[in-house]
Formats: sequence, structure tokens, C-alpha cells
Amino acid sequence: MSFWKDFNQGLIKENPVLRLMIGLCPVLAVSNNAINALAMSVAVAFVLIGSNFVVALIRKIVPDEIRIPIFIIIISTFVTISDYVMQAYFQDLHHALGVFVPLIVVNCIILGRAEAFAYKNPVLNSVLDGVGMSIGFALALGSIGMIRELLGAGSVFGFQIFNPAVAATIMILPPGAFITIAFLMAALNKWENKVQ
Amino acid sequence: MKRIIELGIILMTFCVISAAALSLVYLFTKPTIELYSQRAFEKSLREVVPAAHSFTEINKKGMVFYQGMVNGIATGAAFSVTSQGYSGKIELMVGVDLNGKVAGIKILNQRETPGLGANVIKPVFLKQFIQKSLQDPIEPKKDIDAITGATISTRAVCRGAKSALDAYQTVRDKK
Repeated sequence: MSFWKDFNQGLIKENPVLRLMIGLCPVLAVSNNAINALAMSVAVAFVLIGSNFVVALIRKIVPDEIRIPIFIIIISTFVTISDYVMQAYFQDLHHALGVFVPLIVVNCIILGRAEAFAYKNPVLNSVLDGVGMSIGFALALGSIGMIRELLGAGSVFGFQIFNPAVAATIMILPPGAFITIAFLMAALNKWENKVQ
Repeated sequence: MKRIIELGIILMTFCVISAAALSLVYLFTKPTIELYSQRAFEKSLREVVPAAHSFTEINKKGMVFYQGMVNGIATGAAFSVTSQGYSGKIELMVGVDLNGKVAGIKILNQRETPGLGANVIKPVFLKQFIQKSLQDPIEPKKDIDAITGATISTRAVCRGAKSALDAYQTVRDKK
């Protein structure tokens, strides 16, 4: 049963963005449309699952004193790999996400999960934790991206829904991200209170 | 002391493994990355000088431009210019035909405000520059419809287009 719990907790209960409020920098920067948000989620998922896997694998041979530098080496290796791959096969996305792909290195979700979970748990649990957290991150980022793109540019995934001239431009500017995150958090809290 | 050396060796081992993995990925992706960036550049040249079949890089009087050719005859030239926008430099590629008129214009890179200035990349806006020459004012409110809320970005593109036309004039005069 603990497998399910490890997978599940990242989705809503400990959703990295809407609950733990970590990794907000890329959330603000790349959630101005749905496609960028999803591409960022995929890159983060690759790095998070990969680093959780490797950290859990080597946790017994890593001395306590130098675990953080070793985590950082592992994470930055995965980040650089995803940066190269994106640059080679998904130029447009790489162009749109720009500096935020290399900046995944300092995304605290990833180091946070390596330190708080993968370092103390077996490989399978850690991978499941990574998958759950990535889905939670993608859900949050994706819904923020869709809401902002719809209200700010009148489109979703690039498909025009209404005339962009009447859209609220503020929604695709940085303040729009804060407003959207606040409303989503409020909705999530309300829903959880009701469930309890 | 012994512990420090131990830790150092462990850390170094991780670094070496990581470096090996990265060089492998780099080796695999490098040809694709270069191929695509080359192709993207050629594609943008072809977009701004649609008549040309091939391009040759020419360096004349300190100016680099790309001469478009059809069967060995020049059909126009593409100039890569930059212009100061609202939140950074706007890089443009401007094609000029043999009559000194804009044949095509494309934004290569920009960091303007999303939803406002970033709209300079839209074809609806860029279309206005086609067939403009140095005889035209190329200014917002005169012959160019500015983007609402983004006068500075609009002006930057106008300046970029003009500087490309100027550059064309210079290289042609000195022929």
C-alpha cells in the first residue's frame, strides 16, 4: 500500500506548486501558455524521476557529508541532457523555454525530493514519488498555463477561442501567474475542507 | 585527513561518470543541433528573399549580408540587423529586392512583453513592411499601423527595416 501512497502524495496532498509552494520561479515564467507549461513539466519530470532513481540507487554508497554536492552533480547531469535533447529535437520549445531549462538545476522540487525522499527510500518507491510529484507539478503548471492563456490571449494550446483584443493581457504577464496560483490554491483548500 | 581524501575521491568518481555521460549525449546530439540551427537560418533567409534559390555570404565594406541567387544571377539580399526594443534587442532578418524594396521581414529573436510588444512577430504586422522603400516614411501613424500598447516595439521594427534598406543602399552604391 505504501507504493500507492508514495505515488499519490505528490498529486494533491503535497502538490509541489499548490501545496508546498516550491519551484515557483519556472511556474511564473513559463506558464503563460499551455504548450510551454506542458513542455516544462515534461523536462522537470525527466530530471526529477531520473535523479530520484539514481539517488535512491546509490544512497548506500554516498557518504553523508558530501551528499548535497553529489545530488547536485546528478541533477545537473540530467538537466544538461534534457537541454541538449530539447535543443536537438524540439527547437521551438527550446527557444520558448530558453534559460528556464538550465535553471531546472536550482528548482527546489528536485533537490527537495532527492534529500527528503530518495535518499531514505528504496528505488521503486523513489521512482513512484518522482512520477507522482511530476504529475502534480504538471497538473498545477498545466492548469495555470491554460487559465492564463485563455484569459490573457483568448486561446488554449494555440487554438483561438475568442478575440484576443478583449483578453486581459495582465494574465499573461507575471502578475497573472500570482493571481491564478492564488485562486487555484484557494479552490484546492476549499475543496479539501469540504472533503474532510 | 584520510577522510577528506576519501570523500574527494568519491566526489571525483561521480564527476567523472557524469562528465562521461554528458560527453556521450553531447556527441549524439551535436550534429542534429548544428544541422537544425543551420537549416533554421537558411529557412529564414529563404522567407525574406522568396525569389532566391541559394544564398552566398558576402562581406563588403565591413558589412555582412547574404546575396540571394537564381541561376547565378543576384535577386536580392538579406540583412541581419538588430534594433533596440522595449525590453532588449530585437534581431531581424530583412530581405531587400533589386529595386531597394523590402521583399520580406522576419523577427529572429525578441524579448518584448508577451501579449503586447511580442506581437511584432505576427505576420499581420510584418506584412505592412513588404514593398516599402527608403522613399516611404516607414513610421507608425504614417504608413505603419502600430501595435496597440507597443509603440516602442513598433518603432524598433521600423528602425530595423530602415537600417536594412540603408545597408542595401550602401553596398549597392559601392559596387
